Amino acid sequence: MADQETLCVKNVTKRFGDFTAVEDLSFEVGAGRVFGFIGPNGAGKTTTIRMIVGITAPDEGHVRLFGEAVSSRVQDKIGYLPEERGLYKKMKILDQLRYFAVLKDVPRETADKRIDQWLGRMNLAEWKNKKTTDLSKGMQQKIQFISTVLHDPDLLILDEPFSGLDPVNVEFMIDVLSDFKAQDKTIIFSTHLMETAERLCNDILLINKARKVLSGSLREIKASYGRNVIALRAVGGDAVLNDRSHVAGVVEHADEKDIELAKGANAQVLLRKLIDAGAVITKCEEVEPSLNDIFIDQVSQNRG
Amino acid sequence: MAPGSDTARDEDYMRKFLAVVRHEYKKIVLKWAFLIGTLLFPIIGACFAIVPAIIFSLKGEQTRIVVVDKTGQILPRLKANLSADRIAAKAEEALKESYSEPNAAQQDQMKQSAAMLASGFAFVEYDTGGKSADEIRRELNEKAAGDEIDAYLVIPENVAAADATYEFRSRKAGDFVANDTLRDALNEAVRSQRLAEANISERLVSDLSRNVEFVSKSINERGEEKDSEMLFIASLVIGMMIYITLTIYGQVIMGAVVEEKETRIAEILFSSARPFTLLFGKLVGVGLAGLTQLAIWVGSLAAIIGFLSTQADMAPILASLPDVSPLMIVYFFVFFIVGYFIYASIFALIGAMVTTVQEGGQFAFPPIMVMLIGFYFCFAVIRDPNSSLSFWVSIAPLFAPMTMPVRILAETPPFWQIALSVLLNCLAIAGLVWLAARVYRIGMLMYGKRATIPEVLKWIRQP
Repeated sequence: MADQETLCVKNVTKRFGDFTAVEDLSFEVGAGRVFGFIGPNGAGKTTTIRMIVGITAPDEGHVRLFGEAVSSRVQDKIGYLPEERGLYKKMKILDQLRYFAVLKDVPRETADKRIDQWLGRMNLAEWKNKKTTDLSKGMQQKIQFISTVLHDPDLLILDEPFSGLDPVNVEFMIDVLSDFKAQDKTIIFSTHLMETAERLCNDILLINKARKVLSGSLREIKASYGRNVIALRAVGGDAVLNDRSHVAGVVEHADEKDIELAKGANAQVLLRKLIDAGAVITKCEEVEPSLNDIFIDQVSQNRG
Repeated sequence: MAPGSDTARDEDYMRKFLAVVRHEYKKIVLKWAFLIGTLLFPIIGACFAIVPAIIFSLKGEQTRIVVVDKTGQILPRLKANLSADRIAAKAEEALKESYSEPNAAQQDQMKQSAAMLASGFAFVEYDTGGKSADEIRRELNEKAAGDEIDAYLVIPENVAAADATYEFRSRKAGDFVANDTLRDALNEAVRSQRLAEANISERLVSDLSRNVEFVSKSINERGEEKDSEMLFIASLVIGMMIYITLTIYGQVIMGAVVEEKETRIAEILFSSARPFTLLFGKLVGVGLAGLTQLAIWVGSLAAIIGFLSTQADMAPILASLPDVSPLMIVYFFVFFIVGYFIYASIFALIGAMVTTVQEGGQFAFPPIMVMLIGFYFCFAVIRDPNSSLSFWVSIAPLFAPMTMPVRILAETPPFWQIALSVLLNCLAIAGLVWLAARVYRIGMLMYGKRATIPEVLKWIRQP
């Protein structure tokens, strides 16, 4: 089963009364991939993730993890960091981490060893016997992350893992996730930080209003999503740029313009016309659409 | 990979269940509040029961006493009466009169305290050598002031006369135990002397006093009337104990559920184990903590009563306590467990509905009212344990955990009634745990606002 998908979500629908949170959603996540789950607030990300980790069951369709239906044993292979997360307030860090580990069926000695390793790595070793209330918010988030990886899961599912972290800790987390990636573990995370998703993900799933909007490898999506935008720094040639047969729109920046080509227009033709019109061109570059652009575009299209 | 076999899955559930039980148990038992609450009761009990006994048994300093007895008739008798054997024999007689045959432990204890009382006096020789009464008094006062003696007793010439005055002077007039012992011994000695002078044999007197033993049995029967008062108190204590522990542990469960909901830990837990495993593990873990506390209480109560029963002077009070058989204690624990599961699952359900402990407090009112009503039914049960009201409230779910133990103590009903009560309440538990689990699995993930009753009903119906 080497080619087994780590996660397979098929025709999944979840309703809460009249409200449909997730509708007929299907996607797959391959082993060893970093999978970004993006979408605006209320799109159904958290509901989908809860169904994947087995907290709630889909009304229709099914979820398979490692080729199996979700069960307590399969859950032991998943490390789940919920978006809304917490710790026992008045319990020692060591005791809580031990409890979370034993619930994932990790033997005590192994758990203790890993707790020490992780606390060391996070520079929290001296907080081991302190209570949650003694820790800063950032420290608590690190402890929460440790609790999701103590059982050395094959699949990490992180719901908004970077929210609330300061930039230093975001970098630190990305570093840790890269290590997991290097060990060929599968990572699924939801985020609304497009830059981070763009940096980390192999694959993307964009959902909006309970439905899948876009999915596939980030590379392919970007390639197929040719919006034909040119970054142009030029003096003169304004008449050419106002010609709607070539240019669909212009976005002015401080010293350059983003030119969106009209349908069927060609960058080369436009460039020639500009030169003919006497424009002095210092920069002309095809711009790859950012994930952020794709996101905004898709979501606003969807809304329209 | 084939889906896990049933046994593998069951083992997995079991391991996680036990992990939850251990976690919840330790979380409560290792808290200071629990330690203090659990130990306070035995310690207070011990303070009231044992400490006075120990303090009294502490050896006071010996009283050095001079007995001025020009007649030479009283002193030998007094010395004999103050011997350990005589004191013990007297105490035993007194006990027989008031109660019953002392047991071995009581005898032992009486001998010990007698020996102690006897050794409390040291007779100091003093030569009166024809001194006048005033002279003697002055000399002995000086001796007392000079810390040579502690007390002296002047026996008058007219020993046996009705108007004879015995002068006792002591530096330690406040030592009432020693003074009482001395006075008793002196009374006895004087009485013996009077009897001797009247030519009445002491044997005859003791023979006469043996009759009292016979009478004491009828006193015992009349004592039954007093029993009902003690029974009332004992029943009240038991009903109260169950009511209080159920309230406390119900709140503990609710607090624990709300904490996991409030801190969103539930979400992590649910991704590790089934909600039912988590809920049931929590109920059992907290319940075991409650049982631990109750066992310590009952055990220390038994120890205190056991200790008191070796104290001869406590025997009459203990004799009027209702008989508690080991089976009753078993029943007591059974009904505690039953009551605990009923109310704990109700409180867990409430905890899963609300968002804060404060909100939970409002919802907790109805079950607490039901418990309180059950507690009040205890009074009706004590008054007439065999009335039909007593029958119904002692088998009814929700009330039985309070009323049945009281009824068993008052007048143990036929076994089938107890069995029926346990059965009905276990059915109620099954239903309530099921309901609580249905609400728990969904409610724990619903943040933001408190659930309404229609919402909760919808959760219960949800597959």
